[in-house]
Amino acid sequence: MKVEFVLNGKKVVVDVEPNELLINTLRDKLGVKSVKYACGIGECGNCTVLIDGEPVLSCLTLTVDVNGREVVTDEGLSREGLTKLQKAFIEEGAFQCGYCTPAFILMGEYLLREKQNPSIEDVKEYLKGVLCRCTGYINIFKAVLKTSSRREDSGNA
Amino acid sequence: MEDPYKLLEKWMSSESFLVVGRGVYRVDSLDKALGKALFTEDYYIDYFLENALFIKQVLSPLPHARIKSIDASRALSISGVYGVYTARDIPGENQVGYAIPDQPLLAQGKVRYPGEVVALVAARDYEKAIKAAEEVVVEYEELPALLDPLEALERRDVLIHEERGSNIAFQTRVRKGNVEEGFSKAQVVVENEYRLHHQEHAYLETEAALAIPESEGRITVIGGLQYPHLGQKIISRVLGIPMSKVKVVAPYIGGGFGGKDDEGPLTCAKAALVAYLTGKPAFILYSREESIKIHPKREAAVIRYKSGVDENGKLTAIDVTIIHDTGAYANRGPFILWRATMHASGPYEVPNAKVDGYAVYTNKVYQGSFRGFGNLSIQFAVERQMDLLAEKLGLDPVEFRLRNILREGSTTLTSQVLDHSVGVGEALEKTALKADWWRKRREIEEYNKTSERFKRGIGVAVAWHGISTSRAVPDWSNAYVKVELDGSVTVYTGIVEMGQGSPTSSHVQIVSEILGVPVDRVKVVFASTDAPDTGATHASRGTSIGGVGILVATAKIRERMASLAAKLLGVNPEDIEFRDGRVYSKSDPSKNISWRDLVREAYARGVEVSATGYYYLPKGRFDETVGQGFAYPAYSYIVLITEVEVDTWTGEVKVLRVYPGLAAGKIINPQQVEGQIEGAIAQAVGYTLMEYLYFNEKGWVVNTNFTDYVVPTAKDMPEIEKPVYVEDRFKHGAFGAKGVGEMALIPGPASIANAIAHALGVNITSTPLTPWRILEYTRTSGRG
Repeated sequence: MKVEFVLNGKKVVVDVEPNELLINTLRDKLGVKSVKYACGIGECGNCTVLIDGEPVLSCLTLTVDVNGREVVTDEGLSREGLTKLQKAFIEEGAFQCGYCTPAFILMGEYLLREKQNPSIEDVKEYLKGVLCRCTGYINIFKAVLKTSSRREDSGNA
Repeated sequence: MEDPYKLLEKWMSSESFLVVGRGVYRVDSLDKALGKALFTEDYYIDYFLENALFIKQVLSPLPHARIKSIDASRALSISGVYGVYTARDIPGENQVGYAIPDQPLLAQGKVRYPGEVVALVAARDYEKAIKAAEEVVVEYEELPALLDPLEALERRDVLIHEERGSNIAFQTRVRKGNVEEGFSKAQVVVENEYRLHHQEHAYLETEAALAIPESEGRITVIGGLQYPHLGQKIISRVLGIPMSKVKVVAPYIGGGFGGKDDEGPLTCAKAALVAYLTGKPAFILYSREESIKIHPKREAAVIRYKSGVDENGKLTAIDVTIIHDTGAYANRGPFILWRATMHASGPYEVPNAKVDGYAVYTNKVYQGSFRGFGNLSIQFAVERQMDLLAEKLGLDPVEFRLRNILREGSTTLTSQVLDHSVGVGEALEKTALKADWWRKRREIEEYNKTSERFKRGIGVAVAWHGISTSRAVPDWSNAYVKVELDGSVTVYTGIVEMGQGSPTSSHVQIVSEILGVPVDRVKVVFASTDAPDTGATHASRGTSIGGVGILVATAKIRERMASLAAKLLGVNPEDIEFRDGRVYSKSDPSKNISWRDLVREAYARGVEVSATGYYYLPKGRFDETVGQGFAYPAYSYIVLITEVEVDTWTGEVKVLRVYPGLAAGKIINPQQVEGQIEGAIAQAVGYTLMEYLYFNEKGWVVNTNFTDYVVPTAKDMPEIEKPVYVEDRFKHGAFGAKGVGEMALIPGPASIANAIAHALGVNITSTPLTPWRILEYTRTSGRG
């Protein structure tokens, strides 16, 4: 069946099975690389995408359910160059293998939209649904907090 | 000058650096931040989705059984199924044991653990492959299974590997001095039995490999593994074709931690086998459940440890028995057991020692490499003993350790004299000062007197970890470096990028430092068998040992370029310096030439601008019958001081803060080193407090997903202080680096357990310290 939605700012029309999962449509048919399989049962958060601005696990979402909606992945956060948060991830060394990084960046962007000046506890609360086995999370916290304070500094919070 | 030892020595003496020691951004940063980095499955989807066969594995449901028959007819009748392959179809040798030839790629005659791979099914797509795998009918004759290593050690009537005559896969021993005499001089003796559990790697990318048949009978494999040249060797053996016809490349790897050092070559061999037999590209991807069922785990261990100290607080003797539950196959068990055995004293001087190690077969998933293998469990026992001895002597735990700590000139457990690079004592003192250890310990004890529900504790643990392969096992580094016509530099190494960052940061820094070219002009082509064999990316060797080959090759090129520049500028070669993309006369900087022009001159005047950097680590003799002699070229050391809070009502332990202290030689990239420490501490917190594999009565791992195998989240992390660094340079490491990757995990569980023991006043002898275990302790201590 045909499904139509907005992916990273562009309208896409794709033919899918009724039981097709969004993660598979994105990866296999639409060339999205940043959405990762790691558990398949909604425990690790590595397949997180934003649907109409809200974080959703794409391994537990049927593609037919995003018909007419807007899906954003790490690739679609910035039209040109890097977002402030992506830049902060690089500066703070907030990744190692990089497999989970796109999901953390999406959750971080979501948090910074919800709370402009989050506490470290807020950061942990928002990020707890994404698993990372390499970094111990510390530098990810730093990257998110750095981005929020920078927003304050530049006065566009 | 082209002598590798002289070149390394020359660079070792550098006192000031351009980029080494700085937090240079990794070159994989941009792709990873933008989600563009390609992992194995991404290559399959991008280029082979409709073309490659998808492979699914048929697994044994039984712990121990004879295979009577395999009927694939129903599976083969499904349209889109290309073939079902078993041991019989292997054209070369069905033998993949790394240390002992006891392991088939596909089960042959018998299965020895639930999850053992019996057959491979290849189909046009994923769904057909799954369906066909379910239709393969295997008839088994069940055999009695042994799940407990202590039972397996005794039993002679049930043998997991009949040809080996017993269930002991491997034995090790150390005999040093006179143990009876040592204990007779002891004023205090402590004896305990410790039990350490398995650990699952839980790398977020599961195992995957894509094999592509090419012209002239060649085969290329793209896959997640930690030693491409080992994959090449295994594939060549299984297919019965020359190694030169096999190319293996690892793209970015979504975490390894040792697990893909064992399973990676086998994953690649399975894909290669199907590609070879069908002539079509073939792709294998493990589901999470398959990954947890099939691949090797951190060793579970039973350790009996007796140690004595005299009235001056000096260790007099240790008597240790180590039993590793090696599971169905030996895999790297002998190396793991040797590591445990030779590290059994901890980083302390012990004049008399007796250590016996046994790796015992059981019908469970086999043990393998996991960050700090063999060493985490033995350091747990050592560091619990040290706390108990200190308590009995009435000494402070840090003070007691300092009385026994290894120093330059000390003799190790294997009677090796440590001639350089022993910074552990200084690291311990400085870390204790930074943590305000003595004051905090008193304050916590005061706090616990009045706090009923919450108890706090602070604990210390120290660990050593031998660098490079053990004993006289050969170890070398190599790399191929070439300067392109435009002055950019390409490096070929077999070291992989699995998150640790050696090819994407420290290797780049080494080249940039020596040739004075900006880091963005250096490209490291990593993880390829096109590079000379560099050894594996394991044992914390990616930067220190892996980097030596790059350093030597680059230094050779620099020597040649310095001579050429000297000639062109009319100065002495010793007067030449390389920085910021130019080459200067030090005494008269107005005499200079751009690096790019110099390279052009080299091409024009017949100066070779490519080199290999072979470096063989000098080793000494080791007598395996008594476990005495040269164990390792040097050791890395780490100290962890940990603060915890225990909720005695719920049994929950919160790790509040960790103070690391590292003596790992020269720190090439501090940001990456801190990342390694933080990640290792997360795995230590997980291992100690929450991660636990449940085996049922049939030897099955029951919790094969992330709902039931629980790894730490963002909420579980303690605060981690900036590490104390003691840069005790190692003469055979790049710029004196020793190795960091594994370090903070090794004493992590001991440090947490010592802090909990301090909080509750109990003796902790086993892991994991889950809430119910803590509640048992609080009940027995009567302090809950």
